[in-house]
Amino acid sequence: MPRYIVERTFPNGLAIPPNAQGAQACMTVVGVNAQAGVTWVHSYVSDDKKKTFCVYDAPSPEAIRKVADLNKLPVDKITEVRVLDPYFSM
Amino acid sequence: MDLLEREPVLAALGTALGEVAGGHGRVVLISGEAGIGKTTLVERFAELHGHAARVLWGACDALFTPRPLGPLRDIAETLPGPLRTLLDTEVSRPAIFSAVLDALRHEARPTVVVVEDLHWADEATLDLVKFLARRIEQLPALLVLTYRDDELGARHPLRRVLGDLTGGRAIRRVPLSPLSAEAVRTLVADRGVDPVALHQQTGGNPFFVSEVLAAGGRGIPSTVRDAVLARAGRLPASGRTLLEAAAVIGARIEPKLLAEVGQDVDQATEACIGIGMLQAQGDGLTFRHELARQAILETIAPPRLRALHRQVLVALLAWPTSDLARIAHHAEGAEETEAVREFAPQAARHAAGVGAHREAAAQYARALRFTHAVPPVERARLLEAYAEESSILDQLGEAITALQEAVTRWRVAGNALKEGETLAAVAWPLVRSGRNAEAEGASRQAIALLQAQPPSRELGRAYRIQAHLRMLDRDRAQALRWAGKAITLAERFDDAETLAAAHIVVGSATLVAGDVRGRTALERGREIARSAGFDSLVGLAYLNLGSACGEIYRFDLAEPYLRDGIAYAIEMNLEHAHHYMRAWQALIRMYQGRWSEAGEAARAVTEAHDVSAVGRIMALVALGRLRTRRGDPGAAAALDEALELAAQTGTLQRLAPVRTARAEAAWLDGDRERTLVEARAVYDLALRHRHAWHTAELTFWRRCAGERVALPAWAAAPFALQLRGDWRRAAAAWGKLGCPLEHARALEDGDAAAQVQALEVLDRLGARPAADALRKRLRAEGVRRIPRGPRPTTRAHPFGLTSREMEILQAVAAGLSNARIGDRLHISAKTVDHHVSAILTKLDVPTRQEAARVSRQWQTDGQHGEAPPTK
Repeated sequence: MPRYIVERTFPNGLAIPPNAQGAQACMTVVGVNAQAGVTWVHSYVSDDKKKTFCVYDAPSPEAIRKVADLNKLPVDKITEVRVLDPYFSM
Repeated sequence: MDLLEREPVLAALGTALGEVAGGHGRVVLISGEAGIGKTTLVERFAELHGHAARVLWGACDALFTPRPLGPLRDIAETLPGPLRTLLDTEVSRPAIFSAVLDALRHEARPTVVVVEDLHWADEATLDLVKFLARRIEQLPALLVLTYRDDELGARHPLRRVLGDLTGGRAIRRVPLSPLSAEAVRTLVADRGVDPVALHQQTGGNPFFVSEVLAAGGRGIPSTVRDAVLARAGRLPASGRTLLEAAAVIGARIEPKLLAEVGQDVDQATEACIGIGMLQAQGDGLTFRHELARQAILETIAPPRLRALHRQVLVALLAWPTSDLARIAHHAEGAEETEAVREFAPQAARHAAGVGAHREAAAQYARALRFTHAVPPVERARLLEAYAEESSILDQLGEAITALQEAVTRWRVAGNALKEGETLAAVAWPLVRSGRNAEAEGASRQAIALLQAQPPSRELGRAYRIQAHLRMLDRDRAQALRWAGKAITLAERFDDAETLAAAHIVVGSATLVAGDVRGRTALERGREIARSAGFDSLVGLAYLNLGSACGEIYRFDLAEPYLRDGIAYAIEMNLEHAHHYMRAWQALIRMYQGRWSEAGEAARAVTEAHDVSAVGRIMALVALGRLRTRRGDPGAAAALDEALELAAQTGTLQRLAPVRTARAEAAWLDGDRERTLVEARAVYDLALRHRHAWHTAELTFWRRCAGERVALPAWAAAPFALQLRGDWRRAAAAWGKLGCPLEHARALEDGDAAAQVQALEVLDRLGARPAADALRKRLRAEGVRRIPRGPRPTTRAHPFGLTSREMEILQAVAAGLSNARIGDRLHISAKTVDHHVSAILTKLDVPTRQEAARVSRQWQTDGQHGEAPPTK
């Protein structure tokens, strides 16, 4: 399955508390993703929490946009990526 | 054998049955490799719940070409009511299916319908399963389906059905796992076998394990086949002979038939049952497992195998009623040419009659294998029948080869009319495979041949096909000329099929030339086809109405045709028409800016199995343009594949949509050179066909890329207006057609206010590349008050707090009172109070102190963005 980086902007900053509610919010997103065969691998968040770079495995960019709509998450840009491992030949 | 480690699965089945009793029908799909214990499991379930439910049992045949509706025949045997008679009298499929519904509804208790080994199912059975599963929620029934999931290749017909059975609570999937080492140890008990080695060698497959244990040796055979043969090796010679005859007879073995093929039934059967190779089931016998039957079958030497098939064949032919598919199967096994020649075509016609086209094609193929030497006329008819079934299955290569041979046979038979008719007929699968030049050759040759004869019905058909080819090539004048000739002959010879098809061609050729009056002829053709019962022509009329209106950007007209047409195609099982219309729906949604729907429709086509090239091309164009406009990855891949497929057709109808989409993609990439290459590629072809829309768009892209190219006077208005600098009227025209992106593109050519308006439209659509480019341009031109970007209508926050609520929460966290917050934000304390309650609800916390704590946590913890919290 292709891997994608999904860039998102949260003008008011994104915050997920490290507690049961935060976990619940994440699990809701994960559950909705599963309906379209989309897997949220993990994310990188900018220091001001306004920008996220999310790593996804998905069958297509359309599937990512579909679950983003359902999860009410913004999408700025989707890029298909491959892994480059600098230490591969060491 | 004890049923080990299946309690959870039995419980799941029990739950489903409980829901059925509560008024909600359910489907349970049980999957696993051969020997994993699917049948054993379902039998145990039936045993446990047999008192509370009626259990109906059907199984699919392991025959190479199964009996159409075989499982339903099994079920009908045990069921009172009209179903059995209906099946014997070969009424239409809808009548049979609705009788099944009645049989399920008119029973006080819930019914468990078991269909085993669905991976072997005939096509009609798969349709029945789909039919029931779609209605299951309203039926007092539990549909239990078993299949081997490791035997489904990518193109296995069951895959499409399984794909269909998704979503909702009504459908459950239960994969069966192998036995654990612990369970194998339990089964071994105190026998002298190493349980660890046994588990490893058998992979925990319960049937394999039990075969090894039953064989009783000390070593462990390396395959399940060896294990079965080791067990059978314990039989006396008479038992062994009986087992071979039984294996040839099939999955269900009638003792009467065994006796008729010369077996000493009583004693030998006793022995086979004694060692567990056979078991009694109802009035008959079965192998304990299909794997065992296959193992025995493989050991029979070819001459003896032929002899056994011949004995079975002779016995079945002496019976008053025997299944045609079964007779044909043994006739082939016995290599009895005459019997195959007689019964395989009969079995094929019967299968086709109930809609089992795959089985019908297989039976015709069987007949063809045995009839190389028959008179040419008989052979030609078989080839035509085979080609027809293959076409329905979209196996176009098979259809072409068969029809080409049929042409030769009719020539040998000296029948020029049939030779010409078949020659014309081969053009159709050729053109659907994108082999247009060959199609053209066949069509011309057919006309030449038939014109040398007196006027005929066949000549009318050949004219119609030529007209169709000209229409596909967007050559209106020639299409109308040939269609006119076809209509004259069709009326003279009272040929409703050709008449309907010719009207469809006239209408389509007129429509794609931009003349919406073409709809009248198309609708006329559709109604002639409908009243004469030509379903696929009705589908074709809908398809042409929808796609031709789409091709001239009349989406308002196209939409109802596509909607009704898709519904019709689904009802009538017209897969090609269905996929092609879905692809056009995707294109139209893309132009209309309904991008999520466009993506769904396009993916539905590109992900479906057995989609014809032309359907796939149009879906790929929709997907490619959608991705281009969104700035999503994968646009190039979709448009490269579309180009490859379109190039094979060589027609404007396929090449122009692909080239214009590629030109747009190149332009948004900022690549002028490539934009020119794409836009020039089919420009001359479009010009030659005077295609108003394709020519206009190709000109548009060439001008964008800086080329001074003339615009024909007949080019489509919105593009022409824009190219002449009349951006206002161009924008209005695009708006009227319902194309927001094209509308915005025209506004971009206008004054600063229009450009800002364009940007807003592009932002709202999510057309990032176009919006980015325009924003850059506006900045460079020094335009003030450029909109900042797409307003996040989406939640910026997982708990759905608005920005005002975030602001208030921060103030709460700082310990401010409502009054102070109100002062600071210039709102009343009462309004602040409303906001605070909303915040507490959204955060699901009881007090503002608690909310403040949550807020402070977010502030202090920088690690938690979108990532799941660590445990």
